[in-house]
Amino acid sequence: MYTLLIVQLAVSGALMGMVYALIAYGFQLTFATSKSINFGQGELVMLSAFFSLTLIDSGLPYWLVVPGGMLFGAVLGLFLERAAVRLSLEQKGEGWILLTIILGLLGFSAAENIWGRDDRPFPTPISSDPLHFFGIDVTPLELSVAIGVLAVMGLVELFKRKTLLGKAFEAVSADRDAAQLMGISATRTIQLSYGLSGLVAALAGILVAPITTVGPTMASVLILKAFSVAVVAGLDSGFGIVLVGLFLGALESLTSFYLGSGWREAPGLVLLILALAVRPNGVFGKASIRKV
Amino acid sequence: MWKRLLLIRGAELAVLALLAAIPLMVDNSYVLGLLTLLAIYGILLIGLDVTVGYLGQVNLAQAAFLGLGAYAAGLCVANFDFGMLAALAAALVVGLIFGTLLAFPALRLEGPQFALATLSFAALSATVLNEWEGLTLGAQGLQVSRPPFLGMTLDAPGFFWLCLLLLALVWMAMRNLLSSQWGRAFEALRDSPIATDAMGVGTYRHMVAGFALASGLGGLAGGLYAFNFQYLQPQSFGWDLMVILLLGVVLGGRKSLWGALVGASLIALLPNLLSNRGLFQIFSAIGLLIALAAGGQGLLKKTTRPFQALAPVAAMGILMVGSLIVENTEDWRKAIFALMLFSVVVGLPEGLMGFAARFLTKLFHIEPPRLPAPASLDTVLPKRTANGGALLELRGLERYFGGVKAVDGVSMTVQAGEIHGLIGPNGSGKSTAVNVISGLYVPTGGDMLLRGKLLPVGSLFKVARTGVARTFQNLQLFGELSALDNVMVALKDVYRSPLPLVLLGLARAEEKRASAAALALLELVGLGDQARSLAKDLTYGDQRFLEIARALARKPELLILDEPAAGLAHPDVNKLMDIIKRIHERGISIILIEHHMDVISELCGVVTVLDGGKIIAAGTAEQVKRDPKVIEAYLGVVDDPAGAAVPAQAG
Amino acid sequence: MKKTILAVLTTGLFSLQAYAADTVKIALTGPYTGGSAPMGVSMRDGAKLAIEEINRAGGIQVGGQKMKIEVVERDDEGKNERGALIAQELSSIGDLAGVIGTVNTGVVLAGDKYFQEKGITKIITPAAGSASMTQWSKAGVKDLSIFRFSADDGIQAAMVVEEAINRKLTKVAILHDSTNYGVSGRDDLLDQIKKQGNKLQVVATEKFNIGDKDMTAQLLKAKFGGAQGILIWGIGPELAAVSNGMAKLRMKQPLIGGWTLSMSNYIDNAGKNGNGTLMPQTFIEDPITPKVKSFIDSYHKAYGVSRIPSPMSAAQGYDAVYVFAAAVKQAQSTDTHKIKDALEDLRDPVKGVIATWKQPYGKWDPANEQTHEAFRRAQVVMGMVQDGRVVFANKADRQRLIKEAGK
Repeated sequence: MYTLLIVQLAVSGALMGMVYALIAYGFQLTFATSKSINFGQGELVMLSAFFSLTLIDSGLPYWLVVPGGMLFGAVLGLFLERAAVRLSLEQKGEGWILLTIILGLLGFSAAENIWGRDDRPFPTPISSDPLHFFGIDVTPLELSVAIGVLAVMGLVELFKRKTLLGKAFEAVSADRDAAQLMGISATRTIQLSYGLSGLVAALAGILVAPITTVGPTMASVLILKAFSVAVVAGLDSGFGIVLVGLFLGALESLTSFYLGSGWREAPGLVLLILALAVRPNGVFGKASIRKV
Repeated sequence: MWKRLLLIRGAELAVLALLAAIPLMVDNSYVLGLLTLLAIYGILLIGLDVTVGYLGQVNLAQAAFLGLGAYAAGLCVANFDFGMLAALAAALVVGLIFGTLLAFPALRLEGPQFALATLSFAALSATVLNEWEGLTLGAQGLQVSRPPFLGMTLDAPGFFWLCLLLLALVWMAMRNLLSSQWGRAFEALRDSPIATDAMGVGTYRHMVAGFALASGLGGLAGGLYAFNFQYLQPQSFGWDLMVILLLGVVLGGRKSLWGALVGASLIALLPNLLSNRGLFQIFSAIGLLIALAAGGQGLLKKTTRPFQALAPVAAMGILMVGSLIVENTEDWRKAIFALMLFSVVVGLPEGLMGFAARFLTKLFHIEPPRLPAPASLDTVLPKRTANGGALLELRGLERYFGGVKAVDGVSMTVQAGEIHGLIGPNGSGKSTAVNVISGLYVPTGGDMLLRGKLLPVGSLFKVARTGVARTFQNLQLFGELSALDNVMVALKDVYRSPLPLVLLGLARAEEKRASAAALALLELVGLGDQARSLAKDLTYGDQRFLEIARALARKPELLILDEPAAGLAHPDVNKLMDIIKRIHERGISIILIEHHMDVISELCGVVTVLDGGKIIAAGTAEQVKRDPKVIEAYLGVVDDPAGAAVPAQAG
Repeated sequence: MKKTILAVLTTGLFSLQAYAADTVKIALTGPYTGGSAPMGVSMRDGAKLAIEEINRAGGIQVGGQKMKIEVVERDDEGKNERGALIAQELSSIGDLAGVIGTVNTGVVLAGDKYFQEKGITKIITPAAGSASMTQWSKAGVKDLSIFRFSADDGIQAAMVVEEAINRKLTKVAILHDSTNYGVSGRDDLLDQIKKQGNKLQVVATEKFNIGDKDMTAQLLKAKFGGAQGILIWGIGPELAAVSNGMAKLRMKQPLIGGWTLSMSNYIDNAGKNGNGTLMPQTFIEDPITPKVKSFIDSYHKAYGVSRIPSPMSAAQGYDAVYVFAAAVKQAQSTDTHKIKDALEDLRDPVKGVIATWKQPYGKWDPANEQTHEAFRRAQVVMGMVQDGRVVFANKADRQRLIKEAGK
């Protein structure tokens, strides 16, 4: 009886962990091309979720809302790149850390005022009635999260490997200056990576909203966990983040049960600090060689 | 000189006196509360500025340190009956300890990872404060009673004066600290951690110190915070507060004590500013005007990119329009902060005080303090007696990167007092070899001996301490520091005053001697008149020379020059050769990596040639120039149609 | 330089406010944003409804003239440090007649000391945590300017436990949030269980934090402990998360808890999972008498809603204003100290929508907080969530109130 409980908790947690992996994947995309990440990604997730909610309220069917929301996320990503990231990259500095935080703040305030400060339920056609596998309850909603995450990641990876645009991506990640000398616009590629990152984050928001409800603070907690996943796995580790995401989600769920729900965040945070201390490039990442 | 002292110190005293006098003039508990908060934020922001301004890192944990200090102070009073002084000391120590602990994982981190580490720490401390109900009462909050201070109970004005006194003490101590070698070291490590280690200054110890300092001050501010509000809750020390603190430090001005104070006043008064619509409209109008002025100036003088000039105008424009149409400015508080922060970060990166300082110095014609006369070169760089013998020995040195064998079994000896050339085509392993010697890389195999003793491996810092100094192929200057400061920070055996004396401002004689020594070295490389120019503003040639002067500050036995002539114009190459000769005259051994064959021929007594990670030739410059293997390596081989390979004519 | 100008300006701004003398200045403070906003907003809007009615009739008779009521609004966002700052600010306004409001017990604890220090009369409504008043009896103050106009948690906890016992439950789980409100609620429940004969076995006591969405861990512990009912103390969004979590885990046990379960953000977010939830209420949005109907209709009309977000808070805000106004009239002064004296000895009954208030307060006695508490058990009934509204859980209560109003 008790083991069943533990497995149940681990499975539900792991499925939630896929969302962290998805957001972490967005981080990987922008880090790959520009060595920068969006510290305001939580707000991007939240704004896309709210936008999608508005689309639903206006009567649009769910299967149109999802791409609509993702498009919105992509647009936000592009805006972010222009307003917060490009200048710092040109100056070869790290001002984007502060600037992405600032734009996130702006987004938060806008959301509070446009959609209100309370959490709202997110209607979804996917049901929450649990299915049973070997004594474990899993809702279609939770499964949709896992499927959505893997599908999107798979598609983006396919894009990177099979299309010419995708190859440009890889080139800029490897060596920005060389790629530019070859006629590849680093700026366009970085823009693309931010657009994709936004798209992916929006999907994360739409998938998770029915479970967490939509509110201005919905993603602020998610984001730290996504950071944990990204850093622990390594910012250039590809599918390693899925494994770490599953692990972290399960760990959190079990911690919540055994130590109390308030301690839920702790494993992710401790792991993040440890990872940064011991293996800054992540468990699956490649060690970078300093060149002087 | 007296004018400068009078104006600056005078201004400090005047403000202090005015702030202290306000409770005597106005009897309003609300105003007093605000002023107390101002003093507390002042201490907090001075601490934050050490990390954000001087160390140049985005520190997202300062609000958490405020909380930790506050709870430490409150619990000491509640559980151990501490008096106020003891409780404040406890708060400071708690901040120090946690800051030091946080600095350890932060050791190897760059920008975003550092920010993430601090963010996680903040979240973790919030969680612990909230969940450890047995200790902190968690979300219910902790009531804190204000203990007596040295036996006296403090009423509201009394407590305010205590906060003000502490602010003044912190101000003085920090002013002294940041204008000493510590301040230089913090800034150096921001600009180039690699060079900081290579100059023997030690990124590790200074980063930890900087952090500990910032968090110690945060803890102290926390103690005062606890006794001010007398009620603590974990959620008060979270992200919302952190953003406000960042706003204060960025808006007020980084790397500036006045900036921290201006920032503190702004954020203490912010709620009032926002709730009064008229005042807010005036404020945003002023902001828009400043943005237009700064942006216009930047565009005209072409000192800023278009985005930098226009984006702040757009942001302040939105703020202005918002102030006119929005009903309740309180609701948009975060957006207002964001717009203000954005404008300042993009358009006015030095903050209000940075901007004002330049303006005021021009207005009052304040000159920078006069420099002392340069010291004699003999004291700065004493001549070494040539006592021959092997100085540096490499035995079968190897360094592999995965499958790439960058250095593959190199054995060579550098004799004391010689200029030893190290040449070879690109990718032959010269820089890698030198990077291994200086400690940037750990050797995969082989030994290195300096005067017969094993050289420390894998640590730029440790190697620097053994008397080896170097320059870099890609310049690693401390860009935001002046030429003088670049050299001063690297000086060896000059900074002996213990920390307490530095804080009290009693280490000035030492500073003067250091300036004189640094000036001597700048004169040696011909940069004597550029002492105050920022390193990033120097010409490329001058920057190369500066790196050499900086390396000399280490009084090295062995100086490694990694392609010092790269990209230099002809006159500068001659100047460089002169400098190297003069250095050699003082008995310093030199390893010179170069591509300019004339420089090598002119200067080097011995030359070693590398190709593909192995030594292919060694000897005098003349011998090596004629060696067929060397020619082949550089120029390749011409195929005779008859089938025999013919080496191309040496040139 | 900058700091001094600003400091002088601020002082100026505040002294300017000290000189308007022919209105009765009342501050309304509460959370108008955040998780407790439905209560704060309803309290404020109910109070303003009463103030408008009074002002339309010309105002309160003070001395020779009729003085209108002037409102000063402050949003404490449910945050303690905001509450402290607001209390500091309000207590330095020279001519404040009194303060009405506050929903969160933490805010009361952080801020009320500033009012008490200056002797400013405050009527706490609807904050229900016992600590709001016991902090004064514990400190042993002899003279108190703080009053409460709300059914405190002691009364509510007693009713919740009673209800559980009446339903023949023997095993319950207690869930509570980690704030003062939740923790003191838990303590009140445990206390009441003991007082009512230890008939309930508490199989699990679990806490959750504000902002928590996933209550699985806590609910699983309750489920595996064999709980037949869940007793809960928290606020809107988290309460909804509990109901939704219970539905997901197929738990059908009754949910009984504090009056916060009547808030619109619980009812809306729980949807059909909230039906059947029980909580004590001092006011049900049900037009059982002409006076109540008129109040409900005016509220709907004035604020454009078809349902009051928190009917209890609105009614309490409304009645509190009338009680305060009666004290002002009796004192014949806008001086906050004189008003306090009048409140402690109100001679004429005040007809409110919740009840007719006869001598609600007495002279403060640190040994007996009830001297500054207006509500007794008789004014509280059990409410139940049904199809998006709160209705009477027991028909008998409804009949009783209709009959009492008729007298």
